[in-house]
Amino acid sequence: MSDYLTISDALDALRDNKITATELVQDAFAAADAVDSELGIYLARFDEQALAAAAEADRIYAAGDPAGALLGIPLGIKDIISTLEGETTAQSLVLDREWGAAIGDAVVTARLRAAGGVITGKLTTMEYATGVPDPTKPFPIPKNPWNTDYWTGGSSSGTGSGVASGAILGGLGTDTGGSIRIPAAFCGISGLKATFGRVPKSGCVPLGYSLDNIGPMARSARDCALMLNVLAGYDASDPCAAEQPVEDYVAGLTGDLSGLTIGLDRLALVYADRDPAIDPAIDAAVKALTALGAKVVDVTLPLWDELSAATRITSRSEAFAYHAPDLQSRWDDYFEATRQGVGAAVAFSGADYVQAQRVRRVGQKALAALFETVDLVITPTSSVAGWSLDELGSMTERFLAMHTGYFNAVGNPALVVPMGFNDIGLPLSLQVVGRPFDETTVLRAGDAFQRVSDFHLAVPPMMSSVAVA
Amino acid sequence: MSTDLSMNSSAADAASHSHKFLTIADAAAALRDGSITSVALTADIVEKATALNPALGAYVTITGDAALAQAAAADVAFAAGNDFGPLQGIPLAIKDIIAMKGAGTTANSRVLDPAWGAGTDAPVVARLRAAGSVFVGKSTTSEFALGMPDASKGFPVPHNPWDVERTPAGSSSGTGIAVAAGLALGGLGTDTGGSVRGPACVNGHTGLKVTFGRVPKSGVVPLAFSLDSIGPMARSAYDCALLLEVMAGYDASDPNAADVEVPKYSELLNGDIDGLKIGLPIPYFFDHDQLEPEVRDAVLSGVQQLVGMGATSKEMALPYAAEAKDANMLILGAEAYAYHRNNLVNRWEDYGNLTRPTLARGAFYTAADYAQASRFRSMWSAEVAKAFEHYDVLITPSAPSPAQLVKDMDPSQRLVQPSYTGHWNLTGLPAVAIPSGFTASGLPLSMQIIGKPFAEATVLKVADALQRVTNWHLLHPPVETLYATAA
Amino acid sequence: MHSNEEKLAVVLEMSGITPPAEDQEAILRAFSTGRELSKLIFSVAQARYEEPALIFSARV
Repeated sequence: MSDYLTISDALDALRDNKITATELVQDAFAAADAVDSELGIYLARFDEQALAAAAEADRIYAAGDPAGALLGIPLGIKDIISTLEGETTAQSLVLDREWGAAIGDAVVTARLRAAGGVITGKLTTMEYATGVPDPTKPFPIPKNPWNTDYWTGGSSSGTGSGVASGAILGGLGTDTGGSIRIPAAFCGISGLKATFGRVPKSGCVPLGYSLDNIGPMARSARDCALMLNVLAGYDASDPCAAEQPVEDYVAGLTGDLSGLTIGLDRLALVYADRDPAIDPAIDAAVKALTALGAKVVDVTLPLWDELSAATRITSRSEAFAYHAPDLQSRWDDYFEATRQGVGAAVAFSGADYVQAQRVRRVGQKALAALFETVDLVITPTSSVAGWSLDELGSMTERFLAMHTGYFNAVGNPALVVPMGFNDIGLPLSLQVVGRPFDETTVLRAGDAFQRVSDFHLAVPPMMSSVAVA
Repeated sequence: MSTDLSMNSSAADAASHSHKFLTIADAAAALRDGSITSVALTADIVEKATALNPALGAYVTITGDAALAQAAAADVAFAAGNDFGPLQGIPLAIKDIIAMKGAGTTANSRVLDPAWGAGTDAPVVARLRAAGSVFVGKSTTSEFALGMPDASKGFPVPHNPWDVERTPAGSSSGTGIAVAAGLALGGLGTDTGGSVRGPACVNGHTGLKVTFGRVPKSGVVPLAFSLDSIGPMARSAYDCALLLEVMAGYDASDPNAADVEVPKYSELLNGDIDGLKIGLPIPYFFDHDQLEPEVRDAVLSGVQQLVGMGATSKEMALPYAAEAKDANMLILGAEAYAYHRNNLVNRWEDYGNLTRPTLARGAFYTAADYAQASRFRSMWSAEVAKAFEHYDVLITPSAPSPAQLVKDMDPSQRLVQPSYTGHWNLTGLPAVAIPSGFTASGLPLSMQIIGKPFAEATVLKVADALQRVTNWHLLHPPVETLYATAA
Repeated sequence: MHSNEEKLAVVLEMSGITPPAEDQEAILRAFSTGRELSKLIFSVAQARYEEPALIFSARV
């Protein structure tokens, strides 16, 4: 692993000539070389192109005019988002490879590249950004760097494990019901699902098009802000993209939470088998946030079950519309969890789908009313610290344990940050939710918390044996 | 040509009734030159509406007293020199699916909660009221803007004033009848798959389905939220322009309302269509085997008149026209079922016998069908937008046939018969239905002019240009014979 | 009343999906959950007159 764990530190070091982009990228590849066969981070690596981009970044640094906000930073792309260098597979035997080839760079990929980001390769995902691994299919099984018996969480699995293991400094995930936040939580890093429409999602294989988001995953909230500065903003190629002014999200990281009211919903009752380490970790986080100037009050998120249901109905139905022809003709080519999960959308009628959209609007209004009394809401990201790969297949209540889908239904921005570890050393995670398009306050809270905590900088034990280049 | 027939019936009409058939523009002029008062106009219309309602079923509720009070207020305003624009003192019909102060909203259904919308004006009604309009009453709608009448449910059954054995079409039946028979000078309809244009077509006047989002639709009982629109119905395109310039514009109460500037439509109708490019989508819209030749020929002859005024027309093709009609029906069915599901489960019998099976079909569509139809919708809208790079307007028949005999109608055929209106709800484009002549037997014929998003001014200008050289929109049904029936 | 197994068989056939026997149990479980989710969202009475969170635009 590199000496520089965060994008922010690496940028400082690059500017101060303490390291070159080439060294930084080589360090990242060295980390990947050491652990990828065990962790299943990459589907494809672009070593040659990445080193060429790093060399170009070094030339620009040497010329003394480092304009790109992410110049020389090794970044990975979830393999459901298209890139110029290689094919997009959605980790599936089914996806037509011509789809990504015809697109080239997705808008977000092009934006990272234009900011000087070094695209290191395509990262593992759950098939089509849904479900769990299927060992019978010819793809890597993502394993958690904190304990390789455990799943990374999904679906942005490789981005989560890649950042945690130093194989990349940051990367892109996508989030339809929690697919950025869950792997970020389980892998002990930060991840942001921005407001729906904040980041254009064209060039990404759709799962649930009214819920899908592309977002940054990195060690720190500050790194997420650095990436969001590059990723955010309207693009006409995505009909869902919002024409909302972009803020300087890094400039908003003041470290000061005074005057903010934060609502806490522990979601203590939504999942029976809650990890006992979660509540003490929340208590400690509340104490830290209070010390930073915030006032924390108890709240109840309205219509929790109903909105979580609306997300599932919407996500499954929209996915089924996309997958129906292939499910009809190529059932066995899909991962078991994909075909069973998406196929079960036959349970939903068109009216169910429409009603789900009505419930989403009711929920948006109810949540907006709550946000008249608080500036942010915090919850545990999940009621568990993860599942072992062995027990995944038989888990039927996974959705109840993960507290992320609700916020896809309403569209609000949600950042997750590490808040501790459970008794077997797996990371725990705190979710920070804000008003629509108020990523600034969400990131400010996450960053402030990380100024007084170091969970986000913890390195998985398995990495201690990986030499620094 | 049936002009003679209509002219005869017009001539037979007592002179005292003639002002019932004024256009809004003519009435507005008469109100200002003092040759008529709003009270006199309104009293006459209320009286005739009351007399003819048993025969025509145009109104669910006639709010005579309130109308006369509004008319009196308009006259007072005129006398005081206060002029709030061309709708001041003009009697209008409000479809009974739109909330209006002073009258309940029934949606012509036993199911709708009587408290729904009580005591409130929908934004569009409030705008008309602020412009000084007079509301004759709540006009008949198909139940929940869907289906066909069930006489056993106790609501007026609407009849076509040109031939009471024939359908006035739906769902804005009452406004269509009222305008044709002179029981209002204009009014509001709603259009989800053709419910403004269908009645305008078979009753022989003008009806505009606006661009989706052009007119806020809050205060309307929803049928299919992503397709619903409120539009003006009146004798002429010019009248529709006068109505639209009051109705249109953003309102935050409707999340679908578009924040797009509202032009002064009436001032843009200058009759100049020189260089206008007309596209005629031949497959499906002109060559379907269920399209009646009389309908097609009247449309093409109207197009020739436009060409004579400087327009050019070209035959072209829109792919997937039949599929687009199906997609509209599917989306409509699913969205309507989401609204009605709980009541269909609990109160099946309270729905009309022809409404409930039509609504129930929504249960057959899967969520993926709906999502797929929505994707098709985006794709087809893009196809149509591409076609519009080459044309200013498209012209089609408004319907494949003139008004059908009620006894011949089979509601189950609606899903399989061709239809030319739902396409423009699917794309959200503005489309105006205007008279294009009469059948040999004296029934109105109609053509449809479709424009680009928010190009209401263009479609109305083309319609108005044609109406400057034709009088089909001014002809009216032989209502004298109906007085005899009513008596 | 038809059992969920019977209902599932019908909707799978309607949808053109023919899962092999080994997938049936998982799909039935998901189907049953799905019908419960449907009931849950239709229990939100105030949703009836809410505009769905889907905005169609006439501009392509």
